[in-house]
Amino acid sequence: MKQTGAEILIATLAELGVDTIFGYPGASSLPIHDCLRESPIRHYLVRHEQAAAHAADGYARATGATGVCLATSGPGATNLVTGIATAYMDSTPMIALTGQVSTNLLGSDAFQETDIVGITMPITKHSFLINDVSLIESTVQEAFEIARSGRPGPVLIDLPQDVMAAVVTERITANRPSPKKDHYTSEETIDRLKKIAKHLNNAEKPVILIGGGIKLAQAFDELQELVEKGQIPFVSTMMGIGSLKSPHDLNLGFIGTHGNEPANHSIHRSDFILAIGVRFTNRSTSIVEEFAPLATIAQIDIDPTSIGKNIKADLSAVCDIRKALGILSPLLEHKDRREWLSRIKKKHELMERDDKSNGCGAAGLVVQKVQENMPEGTIGTADVGLNQIWTLRNWRALAPRTLITSGGMGTMGFSLPAAVGASVGKNRCPVIAFTGDGGLLMNIQELATVGFYQLPVKIVLFNNGHLGMIRQIQDLWYGARFADSYLGNHMNFTAIARGFGLPAAHVSAENPEAGIREMCASDGPFFLEVEVDCQNYVYPIIPPGRSNVEMIYDKAT
Amino acid sequence: MQEREHIISMLVNNRPGVLSRISGVFGRLGYNIKSLCVAETMNPDVSRITLVSRANSNFTEKIKKNLDKLIDIVEVKELDRGESVSRELSLLGLVLTADNRPDILRTVDLFGCRILSITDNYVILAAIGTGEETATILNYLKAYEIKDLARTGAIAIEKGGGSRD
Ligand SMILES: Cc1ncc(C[n+]2csc(CCOP(=O)(O)OP(=O)(O)O)c2C)c(N)n1
Repeated sequence: MKQTGAEILIATLAELGVDTIFGYPGASSLPIHDCLRESPIRHYLVRHEQAAAHAADGYARATGATGVCLATSGPGATNLVTGIATAYMDSTPMIALTGQVSTNLLGSDAFQETDIVGITMPITKHSFLINDVSLIESTVQEAFEIARSGRPGPVLIDLPQDVMAAVVTERITANRPSPKKDHYTSEETIDRLKKIAKHLNNAEKPVILIGGGIKLAQAFDELQELVEKGQIPFVSTMMGIGSLKSPHDLNLGFIGTHGNEPANHSIHRSDFILAIGVRFTNRSTSIVEEFAPLATIAQIDIDPTSIGKNIKADLSAVCDIRKALGILSPLLEHKDRREWLSRIKKKHELMERDDKSNGCGAAGLVVQKVQENMPEGTIGTADVGLNQIWTLRNWRALAPRTLITSGGMGTMGFSLPAAVGASVGKNRCPVIAFTGDGGLLMNIQELATVGFYQLPVKIVLFNNGHLGMIRQIQDLWYGARFADSYLGNHMNFTAIARGFGLPAAHVSAENPEAGIREMCASDGPFFLEVEVDCQNYVYPIIPPGRSNVEMIYDKAT
Repeated sequence: MQEREHIISMLVNNRPGVLSRISGVFGRLGYNIKSLCVAETMNPDVSRITLVSRANSNFTEKIKKNLDKLIDIVEVKELDRGESVSRELSLLGLVLTADNRPDILRTVDLFGCRILSITDNYVILAAIGTGEETATILNYLKAYEIKDLARTGAIAIEKGGGSRD
C-alpha cells in the first residue's frame, strides 16, 4: 500500500489516541493539513499559533491526555514558543508538530526556515527533527512516551516538507533506543516513604502541601485518602489548587504572595510539612530563609531535580506520586489532630474579617456569582494579573481539572485559548474564561475561533482600564507612580466582541446580575464585559522581600 | 566552598543534538567545561562522553540530576579518582633548532613521548599520561616554543567494569 509521510504521521497519531489537533497552516505544513482533512482527527483552526499551543495545553490540563498543536515552519513555529514555554513550566504533556523546509534546504536560510529545534531546546522536554520517512512512526511513538512519562512536558517534532510528502510502498519502521524507564520504586524508596510516614505520624502540627504533581500523576483519590485518614490539614501551591475539592474541612487555601492567610500561617507554624509534587517556586515561598521555620520538610516528587532545589528537604523520596501515596496511606495512624486544626481554624476565623470576597472586592464576588449560575462541572480558566487572583481565591474547584491557569510562566493571554482547548477536550463542556483587558488583547483573535466553532466558551472580561496587578504594585511600592500601566478607557470591548460574532453584555462589578444571568442562560459563546474600579486590588498581599506571614492588608500598612 | 576537578562519565544515545543539550545544561547552571571527549563505544548506538569541570561540591548532585533528565543520556556518573583510571593524549608541535633539538628529543625517553612527525625544524610529539603527568611534560617543554597544542582532555573508565556499553 502506498503511503505518504504525512499519512504515516496521521495514522500513528490516531493509533496513539489523538482525536484533536489545534493548528494553523502554511506552505511547509500543507502535506499534513491535506491529509488531516480525510482523517478521524479533528483539526481546530485557531487564529494565531500561540493560541494553538495554549489550546493544546488547555486540552491536556482539562482531560489529562496529551495535547497536540501544529504550526508551519518559520513564523508559525516561532509563534508557538510562548505556548510551549508555558506548557513546559507547568509540566503539561504536549506534542508540538512543526512544518520545516525540505531536508535539502536545511541550513540554507530558505524561505521560512528557522531552527525551531534549537530555539525550543531549553523549553522542551525533548525534540526531534525527522529526516527520514522510515523514522516517522517510531519517533512519534517515542515523543508521546516522553511527553507523558515521568515528569510530563512538551516535546517538539520538526517535520520537513519532503519527508511528509515522500511516498513509501510499505510502512517501514526503524528501531529507536527505548526511552528511559521509571526506575524509582526500589526498596530504598519504600524505606524512605516509611520514614516519612513515621515522621508524619509523630508530628503534632503536620501540613500537607500539594503541588501540580498530584494532577500530573492523577493521584486525586490517593491524596484524598491520605488527607482524610490522617486528618491532616492541607494547603496547595497555585498549581495544586483543585487537586482536592476545595470546599473541604481540612483545606486552608493556597500559599504564597497572593495566597490565603490561613495557608501561609499554617506553614509558618507547622512542625512537619509533607510536600507532594511541588518545586517551591519563589512565588510560593517568598524569602526562603523564613519559609516554614519550625518544620521538618519531606518532599515527594518524580523529578529528582525538584528535590531540595529551592528549599532543603530533610526527608525525600523520588517516586511516582500515585504509587507513593498508595504506599503511605496504609502506614498512617489515626490521630486526633483536632487541637492543631482548631488552632489554625480559630486563626482562620479571626482573619476572615467579615469579607466574603476573600480580599478581592466586588470583582471576587462576580467570580462567585458566575459560578453559582453555571452548571456543576463548568471549567474555569484564569488569565494572569489581578483577575487571576480574584478567580483562584473565589472559584471553588469542585472536581479535579476544573480550574486552569498558567502558574509557572504567568502568561497573559492564556485563559481564552486554554478555554477553547478545555471545552473541545471535554466534549464541548461550558468554560468560563476570566481575563483582564490587558490579557484579552494578547490573544483577542481567539474570539473568532470561539464564534466560528460556536463553543460554549464564556469570556468574562474584567475591564479596569489598567494592567491592574502592575498598577497595584506601583501604588504600593513605587510611590503611586503609574508608569505604563494605564491602558485607557477608549475601547468598547462589547462592540468588539459583537464584531467577532459573539453575543455580549456590559455590566458593572457592583451590579453584574442581569449580565451574568443572560450569559449563563445562553448555550453557546458569550462575552461579558464587567467594569471594575482600577483600585479593586487584592489583599492581603506579601510585599517583596518579606516572608509569607508578613502580609499587608491595605496601602497604609 | 572548595573548588575541585570533577570527572563526569556519560553513556549517551548516539543521536544528533545530544552534545548541544548537554552543553546547554552546563551553560544554564553556570559551569564551565574544562575538557570534553566523545566517541562511539563498541555499540555504535551509544557514545561515551568524558567531561571534566571545575566546581564546588554542590556541583555533582545538581549536574547529575539535570543531565539524567535528558532523554538521550543512558547513564551519568561522577568518577572517583581512586576507583577509576584516566589518561589524556596531547599532541605538541615544537620548533626545532640546533640548540634545543637534543633537549626536546630527550622527552621521548624521559616521558615516553612518541615522535609522530619530524622535519629539520619541526617536531610533533604525542604524550599520553594522567592529568599530572601531562602537566609535568608541558611544564618541562614550556621552556621551548610549543607552537601547537591539542589535548583530548581526560578520558576515564571505572576499574573493575563499573558500567556496560
Ligand atoms: C505576556 C506577559 N507580559 C507581561 C506580563 C507582566 N504582567 C503580569 S500581570 C500584568 C497585568 C495584567 O493586566 P490585565 O490583563 O489587564 O489584568 P488585571 O491585572 O488588570 O486583572 C502584567 C503586565 C505577563 N505576566 N505576561
